[in-house]
Amino acid sequence: MRRLGADGVTVAFDGLTALSEVNLAVAPGRITGLIGPNGAGKTTLVNVLTGFQAPTGGAVTLDGTALTGLKPHEIRRKGIARTFQGGRLFRDLPVIDNLEVTGVGLGQSRRAAIAEAEAMLDWVGIAALADRIAGTLPYTDERRVAIGRALMGRPGYILLDEPAAGMSAAEAADLAALVRRIALEMGCGVLLIEHNVGLVLELCDHIVVLDSGAVIETGDPAAIRASEKVRHAYMGTAAEAQMPEGVA
Amino acid sequence: MSARTSVARRTLATPLILSALLIVFALLAWFVGSKPFNQTIIDIFLRVILVVGLYIFVGNSGVISFGHAGFTCLGAYAAAWLTMPPMMKQTLLPGLPEWLTALQLPYWAGAGLAALWAAVWAALFGKILMRLSGIAASIATFAMLAMINTIYSNWEDVTGATSSVVGIPIVRTVWPYLIAAILAVFIAWAHAISRAGLALRAARDEPTAASASGIDLPRERLIAFVVSGAVMGMGGALFAHSIGVVTPDTFYLGLTFITLSMLVVGGMGSLSGAVIGVLFLSVLIQALRWLEAGVTIGASKFALPNGVQEIALGVVMILILARRPSGLMGNKELGWRRAGSVAPDVSGQKQPDLSKGVSK
Ligand SMILES: Nc1ncnc2c1ncn2[C@@H]1O[C@H](COP(=O)(O)OP(=O)(O)OP(=O)(O)O)[C@@H](O)[C@H]1O
Ligand SMILES: [Mg+2]
Repeated sequence: MRRLGADGVTVAFDGLTALSEVNLAVAPGRITGLIGPNGAGKTTLVNVLTGFQAPTGGAVTLDGTALTGLKPHEIRRKGIARTFQGGRLFRDLPVIDNLEVTGVGLGQSRRAAIAEAEAMLDWVGIAALADRIAGTLPYTDERRVAIGRALMGRPGYILLDEPAAGMSAAEAADLAALVRRIALEMGCGVLLIEHNVGLVLELCDHIVVLDSGAVIETGDPAAIRASEKVRHAYMGTAAEAQMPEGVA
Repeated sequence: MSARTSVARRTLATPLILSALLIVFALLAWFVGSKPFNQTIIDIFLRVILVVGLYIFVGNSGVISFGHAGFTCLGAYAAAWLTMPPMMKQTLLPGLPEWLTALQLPYWAGAGLAALWAAVWAALFGKILMRLSGIAASIATFAMLAMINTIYSNWEDVTGATSSVVGIPIVRTVWPYLIAAILAVFIAWAHAISRAGLALRAARDEPTAASASGIDLPRERLIAFVVSGAVMGMGGALFAHSIGVVTPDTFYLGLTFITLSMLVVGGMGSLSGAVIGVLFLSVLIQALRWLEAGVTIGASKFALPNGVQEIALGVVMILILARRPSGLMGNKELGWRRAGSVAPDVSGQKQPDLSKGVSK
């Protein structure tokens, strides 16, 4: 079966257990949500899945094959792409070059990479930004460029680390539409990390809830919405206010 | 879909403009026709080769290298081994293998092989060094330079140790140096617009995002290191032919300092900056030397006291860097559209639509 999976992944930073025996699977064409309070270990899990962090225990598998020991660029070349919480665009380069770099990293010629970058900017809906210097972009556009960059070469999987952080309700709705198209039109498996729980409940087929490095609940949106454990550990009362907002 | 003009076509103006600048300097030497002035221009071309060679690695990777003078040393001695008359080699460098002693190549063939020789060593050293980053990488390059210097200062019958190796054929016309400088500029340009160059510049500021984009950073760094090592080696060979003498200390701290200074003053992240830095500082140094030697204005002779040259040079460099920390050119390149409007580095500021017309 085609899937990207974390199988019993444990990560210990000296003293602190950031992840303990976490299982999670992302399937092609589906959107999986990953939620949890600050410091729950969400980014650490993305780092493990993309080769930036070696797990202390367990393994990452792609279609059943372990990816142990592969470097981040090798994992990217296997079609597992990611974005970063902080954007991390190539600030001094124009937007088009930001995408082109990924094409080149994946082995394309510059000419081919530029052609795909143009098509991708179009697809994401930011063709007008092509020649802007990435460092000068507002926050929202920065996120879209980062997603476009990650989508170069049509990866099988994309891991989005808080793509809607700081967005207004309308902007978050646009982003939701984009994420849906990534799964439906590209057939890409999406892992969506978000603090905007409303957005996650609206978009995801399946949701995993992480707290203090451990999975405390999994299920479809209805199950997560109903879960006492989740309500208790993560949402509390604040979630009631947060849930309807952001879905817009 | 709008067809963008190819990257090469879009950026070709830069090496062409820089070459034109160099040709102007060569013509100057030709018209003036004085021997010392000719030598001054040759020295400038040699520095252009070395600083451009340094730029290929430092400019694109962002890793400061204190070791590149080592490749110049390798190139210079390789040129000596390959082009000196066999008789001289027998007496000065008795430790050379027989086939090498018997060999006497023309200077240009020697320079080509010297570049190759330096490139091979850059590949070997780079294999280890390119895994390091930041200050660790810089210190390691310095350690490499110290090693090369120590070996060449002590290997008596192959390098002559610290005594001068003389008898290297001297090439006195500016043209070969001009051609080599232009060649260096075009090599640097070709590397900068290649996939390897683009990948390296992206990784310069965002190594994490670059790996997440599929870029194998140590490999891209190694490519730049080898290409730049080759150019430094070629520069070293021509250096040897410009004066006919080599010693290990010619290619040590002094050369490291002057080449790095010129690169930083010109603008580390820019090929144009590398060339402009050399031309600007060389002209300044020359002007100060003339003043030190004394100029006659009317009836009175005016001369700066000795040592003023070094002090003035230092002051000017500090002033430039204080006003423009990223050098005269910043990250910009000379181009048709931008010629004459070379803006200071304004990263973080919104750019005017200069690039629109160029890239669509
Ligand atoms: N390199 C590291 N060394 C030591 N501790 C780390 C490291 N990276 C993360 N941690 C710790 O691991 C825990 C999980 O961090 P992580 O960034 O994965 O959380 P997160 O769920 O992404 O949080 P947020 O919602 O704030 O982004 C935190 O306690 C963090 O301080
Ligand atoms: Mg995080």
